[in-house]
Amino acid sequence: MSFTFRLMLRDLRSGDLLTLLLALIISVSTVTSIGLFIDRLQLSFEKESATLLAADRLVRSDDEISKDWVTKATDLNLQYAERTSFTTMMFANDALQLSQLSAVTDAYPLRGRFLVDDSLFGTGYNTIDIPQPGEVWVSSRLASLLNVDIGDQVEVGDTSLTIAKLLVRDPGSSTSAFAISPRAVMNMADVAATNVIIPGSRVRYSLLLAGDKAALDEYENWVTPQFNDSQRWRTPVQRGERIGDTIGRAESFLLLAGTLAVVMAGVAMALASARFVKRHLMQVAILKTLGATPKLLGKVFFQQLAVLFIVGSVLGLAIGWGIQEVIASILSGLMSTGLPEPSVIRLWLGAATGLISMLVFCLPLMSHLIKISPLSVLQPNARVELNSALIYVVGFMGIYGLMCIYTNGFLLPTIMTIAIAGIALFVAGIGWLAFKLGRSLTSGATSGWQIGLASLYRRLVPNLFQLLVFTLIIMLTLILIGIKSNLIADWQQQLPEDAPNHYLFNVQANQIESINSATDALNVPRSDWYPMVRGRVVSVNNESVQDLYPDERGEPELYERELNLTWSDTIGQGNTLVSGNFSAEGLSVEQEAAKEANLTLGDELSINIGGNLVTLPITSIRTVDWGSMQPNFYLILPRSVLQDYPANFVSSLFIDETSAQPFYKSMAQFPTVSILNVGDVLRQIQTIIGQLSKAIQLVLFCILSAGALVLLASVRSTLEERLEEGALLRVLGAKSALVRQALLVEFGALGFFAGLIAALGAEACLLGLQVFVFNSAPSFHPSLWLFGPAIGIGVITSIGLLASRKVLNVPPMHLLRDL
Amino acid sequence: MTSNTAIKVTNLTHTVTSNTGNLTILKGINMEIKESESVAIVGSSGSGKSTLLGLLAGLDVNTSGDILVYDQPFSGQSEEKRALIRGEHVGFVFQSFHLLPSLQAIENVMLPAELKGDKDARVKAEALLEKVGLSHRLTHYPRQLSGGEQQRVAIARAFASNPKILFADEPTGNLDEENGKLIIQLLFDLNRSQGTTLVMVTHDNELAKMCDRQLVMSAGQLTEKSL
Ligand SMILES: Nc1ncnc2c1ncn2[C@@H]1O[C@H](COP(=O)(O)OP(=O)(O)OP(=O)(O)O)[C@@H](O)[C@H]1O
Ligand SMILES: [Mg+2]
Repeated sequence: MSFTFRLMLRDLRSGDLLTLLLALIISVSTVTSIGLFIDRLQLSFEKESATLLAADRLVRSDDEISKDWVTKATDLNLQYAERTSFTTMMFANDALQLSQLSAVTDAYPLRGRFLVDDSLFGTGYNTIDIPQPGEVWVSSRLASLLNVDIGDQVEVGDTSLTIAKLLVRDPGSSTSAFAISPRAVMNMADVAATNVIIPGSRVRYSLLLAGDKAALDEYENWVTPQFNDSQRWRTPVQRGERIGDTIGRAESFLLLAGTLAVVMAGVAMALASARFVKRHLMQVAILKTLGATPKLLGKVFFQQLAVLFIVGSVLGLAIGWGIQEVIASILSGLMSTGLPEPSVIRLWLGAATGLISMLVFCLPLMSHLIKISPLSVLQPNARVELNSALIYVVGFMGIYGLMCIYTNGFLLPTIMTIAIAGIALFVAGIGWLAFKLGRSLTSGATSGWQIGLASLYRRLVPNLFQLLVFTLIIMLTLILIGIKSNLIADWQQQLPEDAPNHYLFNVQANQIESINSATDALNVPRSDWYPMVRGRVVSVNNESVQDLYPDERGEPELYERELNLTWSDTIGQGNTLVSGNFSAEGLSVEQEAAKEANLTLGDELSINIGGNLVTLPITSIRTVDWGSMQPNFYLILPRSVLQDYPANFVSSLFIDETSAQPFYKSMAQFPTVSILNVGDVLRQIQTIIGQLSKAIQLVLFCILSAGALVLLASVRSTLEERLEEGALLRVLGAKSALVRQALLVEFGALGFFAGLIAALGAEACLLGLQVFVFNSAPSFHPSLWLFGPAIGIGVITSIGLLASRKVLNVPPMHLLRDL
Repeated sequence: MTSNTAIKVTNLTHTVTSNTGNLTILKGINMEIKESESVAIVGSSGSGKSTLLGLLAGLDVNTSGDILVYDQPFSGQSEEKRALIRGEHVGFVFQSFHLLPSLQAIENVMLPAELKGDKDARVKAEALLEKVGLSHRLTHYPRQLSGGEQQRVAIARAFASNPKILFADEPTGNLDEENGKLIIQLLFDLNRSQGTTLVMVTHDNELAKMCDRQLVMSAGQLTEKSL
């Protein structure tokens, strides 16, 4: 066995190397577990959202899907299915009904399941099948409108199909959210025989794809350049959709949490390395007097670091994997689809953290260690002082680099680095003042209070550093808790339990009265009725939309499709005016939509309404509360413009499980009214939010445990001095109680200041994050100011007392001898 | 016995920079120490004894003048080279023992041999500890040993590399009379039996008198004490 390893094994017994190893393991395992867990969550969200699309990716087209595209999908080993959707009349006996038919191939749906039932208005069960040739599955609503049931025949074009099942949910239906006629599904094989698809009919073709992400990306790159005007590439989480927002914010949070974990891990490593070096300086000097050359020492320490890195990383990765599995299993009960396995490649993140931590926190300190003059053994004042400025700079850069790698960007790390640097300066300033003040209050150290406060100033630099570490960790904790409760409250507010899940369209003015009485009878909550006229924005400030977005890339939602327009004399419930004047003769635009299209007050939009071109300036911008019971409109026009167009009315409803069946039955009297059920989408979002809230709490818990460990490490790093002092005080005759009181005061004061400054910092950071990262409204958090100092005093005094209980209980002789 | 020159010092000056400006600790020192000689350096506190010892042992580089150890100059050598010379020729005993706290007694004694890659480190260390009367304390850690015992381990360690010169900086300074005597006994025994040159800083007159020569350090200058 080589000298290096023998030395290492011996060193292991002293605990110093073990502390370093432990810090490394904590770093690697925290980053690994959070990294892997975030990865799994992301995969899971993708999977969950994919069920809304029935696929991982989808090509939507108004023309038939080319055979080449299918061939390419098979070449890339992608699963594929096709769906053809069209609106057609269905006949049964004497009844007829315009309905929305989807014809699908065997593999459909690639993600998610059909929900079907055997009796009218049933709640449904999952099936992996699709309708057999000759069969059709119809929605209960369609069945009741046609007055048919299972086993009956319906005619579609030239063929007749048998109703085999009643359709409760079609997994891909949410993507065609505005196809609001009653629905039915049939087998692709029967389409030709119906003869309903003739040139000029309005048909939507979809090619559904699922498989490997790399292959999907390759397919996207290959297919999108061939797109014509009508063709679109769809991903499960589409920009601007609410579910995308929710997941996006959660990812930001987890990313932030992970980044903070990286910072804590860095601090832990730095503390452990500093302790290691401090305790080894004299040893290295002695080894030098015994003839150890710098070269040999360099080799020894380098090999030690290498072994440390390998052992620490392997253990850290393994433990990180384990922790992540535990979190996942705790969560698994909540996940409807189950968590996908994490990708093993993500482990590199943990290993990189280990390597970089070693490089920036250990290597510079170790190289310093080797430089110590052997003269130190004779002349304690010849001992080299650590060039700490450089070491802090390197360490800081290391943490910054790690954060950049971790977040794959510079914005968040830069914000955080600047914040941390600012806080460091602030802490140094305030701490110095406070400690100084504390000392001047205590002349003549007789009580524990006075001794405690005096020692704060006596060990100024280590105490300031410790104060900084405490402050940072408490602050990070407060920030995370703050964001967590913000996010969750925000989500819940956005999606209350009774958010409207059904919309009624195509309601004629004369039907309103009877629908009102029907819903009132069922006690169904309903919004006001809004008149609705359809129109399309064709030009902006006299420039045509087609010219502005020739290939339709980046085209804002406002121009992309035909919009529902309404008029209103007063700004509706749930709408808040942001700027302009709502009652002016102009357009009122929803804020997010305006932002996306880069519109401000005074811009002129030309809208094609039923063949007439209407040009109006934007006179107000408003936000809408998506949680309100109202149907929301991007554009509201003046009454004078719209009132002469034929309008139908829209309203939103909340229908729960018990009222669903009677509601659908009563709506059978209004065959022309379209019902849009967004309940599935809402439920999906609510499930995801539920998962996210739990996941976030778990991740938070993990990070806080890591934080507590760092605190412990930091208290330990000054333990020797405290032990020595405590022992001396007791040798000099101080009672244990006095020493304990002094320690309590010292830790308590440190904790109090740390908590207070942390609350201030956290408040500032939360405001910044709310405004810049999470795009939510800034708010004030009074509870931080209570929690901060409370956590500070509570946690730090208990950790401190726990760590230094030796000072109080062990006979002072033992302590002095041990030192 | 032909007496070779172990150490030869000419015009040695040493200046250090401190925060209060330059401080010249050693001011033109000349001396010569023969092989197998035992030399005591005495003088008041702060006169520069430890500084001189450190320079003689190559722990630091002097400002001007020459130090030759067995005709090899220390000045102008890299720390790498000086460390090799130290490992080859020099052993140390300190006032505060300076054992590695994380190593057992035997492991402390094995260190010099291990550093040279010697395979028999353990056997030799056992023999040395036996010689200093600690064969029953091999696996004890320094904190489990008394001061006198620790210093005996340090002496065993110092002789482990068969040094030609042994430097000792107040080896008995931290010990009571009885333990001090034991340590001195050991040092002189080994000095005699192995022909090791002994250079020792001490405040103890008894001890100084036992040496072949006494050199007196005073305000950075060295004079021979005539007997
Ligand atoms: N690197 C240094 N920087 C500043 N001053 C130094 C340095 N090295 C030594 N000195 C000073 O030089 C003087 C001589 O120190 P040295 O340790 O050699 O004295 P000494 O004779 O060994 O004293 P003692 O008997 O107390 O051990 C002391 O005043 C010491 O403070
Ligand atoms: Mg001295």
